[in-house]
Amino acid sequence: MSFFDAFVQGFALVAQWESLAFLALGIAIGVVAGAIPGMSATMAVALTLPFTFAMQPITGILLLLGVYKGGIFGGSIPAILIKTPGTPASSATALDGYPMAEQGKAGKALSMALYASCIADFVSNLALILVAGWLAAFALNFGPPEFFTLIVFSLTIIAGVSGDSLLKGAVAALFGLLLATVGMDFIGGTNRFTFGSPDMMAGLNFIAVLIGLFALPEIFSHIRNPKEREGNVRKLGDSHLTREEFRGSLKSILRGSAIGVFMGSIPGIGAAPSAFLSYSEARRASPNRENFGKGEIEGVAAAEAGNNGVAGATLIPLLSLGIPGDVITAIIIGAFMIHGLTPGPLLFTNHADLVYALFIGLIASSVLLLFIGWFAVRGFRYVADIPSNLLFPSVLVLCIFGVFAINNSIFDVGVMLVMGLLGYAMLLLKFPAAPFLIAFILGPLLEDKFRQSMLMSRGELDIFVRGPITIIFWCLTVISVVLIVRSTMAAARIRRQQRRTSMPPRTGTNG
Amino acid sequence: MKTPMMIMGLATATIALAGAVAAEYPERPIQMVIPYGPGGVSDLSARALAGPLGQIVPQPLVLTNRAGAGGAIGSVSVRDADADGYTLLFARVGTHTVNPAMNPNLPYTVDEFRFIAIYELNPVACVVDAGSDIHTIDDLIERVKGNPGEVAFSHPGAGTLPYLGGLMVLDAFGVADPLDNVIDIPTESDAASLTAVLQQTTEFFCGSTSSAAGFVANGQMRPLLVTSPEPVVGFDAPTVADLGKPELQALVGWTGIAGPAGLSDEVVEKWAGWLVEAVKDAEFRGFMDAGGSVVNLMSPDESVAFIESAYQNFRRLVLELDLEL
Repeated sequence: MSFFDAFVQGFALVAQWESLAFLALGIAIGVVAGAIPGMSATMAVALTLPFTFAMQPITGILLLLGVYKGGIFGGSIPAILIKTPGTPASSATALDGYPMAEQGKAGKALSMALYASCIADFVSNLALILVAGWLAAFALNFGPPEFFTLIVFSLTIIAGVSGDSLLKGAVAALFGLLLATVGMDFIGGTNRFTFGSPDMMAGLNFIAVLIGLFALPEIFSHIRNPKEREGNVRKLGDSHLTREEFRGSLKSILRGSAIGVFMGSIPGIGAAPSAFLSYSEARRASPNRENFGKGEIEGVAAAEAGNNGVAGATLIPLLSLGIPGDVITAIIIGAFMIHGLTPGPLLFTNHADLVYALFIGLIASSVLLLFIGWFAVRGFRYVADIPSNLLFPSVLVLCIFGVFAINNSIFDVGVMLVMGLLGYAMLLLKFPAAPFLIAFILGPLLEDKFRQSMLMSRGELDIFVRGPITIIFWCLTVISVVLIVRSTMAAARIRRQQRRTSMPPRTGTNG
Repeated sequence: MKTPMMIMGLATATIALAGAVAAEYPERPIQMVIPYGPGGVSDLSARALAGPLGQIVPQPLVLTNRAGAGGAIGSVSVRDADADGYTLLFARVGTHTVNPAMNPNLPYTVDEFRFIAIYELNPVACVVDAGSDIHTIDDLIERVKGNPGEVAFSHPGAGTLPYLGGLMVLDAFGVADPLDNVIDIPTESDAASLTAVLQQTTEFFCGSTSSAAGFVANGQMRPLLVTSPEPVVGFDAPTVADLGKPELQALVGWTGIAGPAGLSDEVVEKWAGWLVEAVKDAEFRGFMDAGGSVVNLMSPDESVAFIESAYQNFRRLVLELDLEL
């Protein structure tokens, strides 16, 4: 079958109302599911899977892909409105999205999240179609030592999200690393800090920690200080973005998309580190660096571009090698298998029509996401209008239900509440939550990849410089550390000078 | 369609409670715990069976994923549930033979469960990367013996079938002290173990045919042997019996249904009857075939005997090779 024949047949498969309708339905389901705290994109895809068994292969797979893409964007809605990331990947969005909502700019933040998501999604899909082969070969070169150096480099993100004090950020990160060790270590099979409890053996659930750390402290501080917000009624604000705002963020969106494509094509990383890396790179390059973390629209754009940029790229190892890159693609592979399709090199020869149909469907999904997201933004932003004394209790109830539903475990709810207290203490003491979270995500990867590499080399450390990829990441790490040290020292110098001239310290409220 | 059934189920349950008469089992929905996360082989197998089973069992089946700690959390939750037949477990080779044989600190034992059935067997295959110069199991053994401590295999963690599988195969083919003579690299999942083989981080993987089937079909990997008595469709490799090692047939994955130890005979018999009907379903069988699994329904007694013999086989190897965690 020639390329043209396959393309035409693929087009015929997609250009049926069922295909597009199910794709749109999937996106709508994903957006709504992603917007419910505790209901992650992963769960939404898993719950949709059984419904695809009876469908045509192409409609079933498009439905799942729709849920996936919608879910990743949908997670940004509660992250912005109520500081409750619907999916782990949107926790970076909350860093600037929530302060924007506090300032009455929820509409703008949501619109920017949508545009950034759609553009990144589109770039990611293009990468899948145009350079999948090349990126898949690259992914195959990414063994444990390469992975380890990438994670070491990614840990430098912590400096970018530490806020005013690098020291406090580092302390929070160490705490995150410590809590990430709880549970059964799969390399040695030993139990760590489990105190004999089977529940602890699974470790602390990631979503429970996430919600506890981000959403609950907001609720607690509202309970303690209900008056504080009463005078300050939050407004939806205008959801229209000015041309300048969009143009100012475009570079970050494109950079975030590229980071997403790169991280997504490597199996096993996922969208959350990509979102944080994109956010931290945007902050480093932005003239408004001071305003990041305080309601900077470019931060929302970068975070959303970083996590949606992953969505198309995770299909690269899936389709070209048959490797599921994350939990969601592992579920989607199930949908292929059910229909007797085996993702991998032969799929392109045996079912080229299906592959092209998927490609066309994916491109359509970016456009559909823009439309469905537009309605979702208009629908959900009224959440910002709900008086806090109704909103916060409802959020608490949703969080408890959502966290319980992950594993039907009351233990996870307990973890969330304890993490909420910890998060509140951190808020009072001005310790930033994001470094904690990044360390909690990356810590286990760092350890596992280190130990796998050590097993491979039987203890020889030179495995960590075994090829060009490892060396590139070491160089990048050194460059970032030097930059961090320089900017920290510069900031300290400015602060000293300010003190000497007895000026009040800058509060950093740009604009 | 599901919701009206649920509502009907709830309504019946309410009426039954109100009447307070000892009606026949089951009089309310049955919770079935899957001790692994959604989308994995265990989850898919359970959900595929629940399709036809749901048509036969007079009450709704509520499938619940309780993942974590290699299936221990879901298993413990069923062990601790009331033995009334309303909480059952999809037990797997990992949760109920390999892990108990290896890990004396596991928070449960096999005796704390009553087995209703085994309905699925997954033969094990050993695979290498298609570009590798290892073409037969003898090539592999020669390589290991010629380069002690150089050859690596990947597996999804100690206490899993592919971990024991790799060592058991080497042991059977005469590699002394396999733990010292090969490198074993634990990964996050079966898929990650197979990725490691593709990346040539490791040389081989011995795990269930269903996880390797895609890579073999695509010509990315080459099978060296399968542990089933009959050749496996799509796997162009000799069986262990052909290779003169029939004892390796013990190396096989399975999925079954179990409840807490105190489950009554009435419940077990009911389920045995329902399962005989459910496994006849053509759609279920088609799904299992596509995934490289063999539908093999065993009676409650056969299941217990099968699990006991598998456990003893693994336990002997664990003691022999000193693999206890």
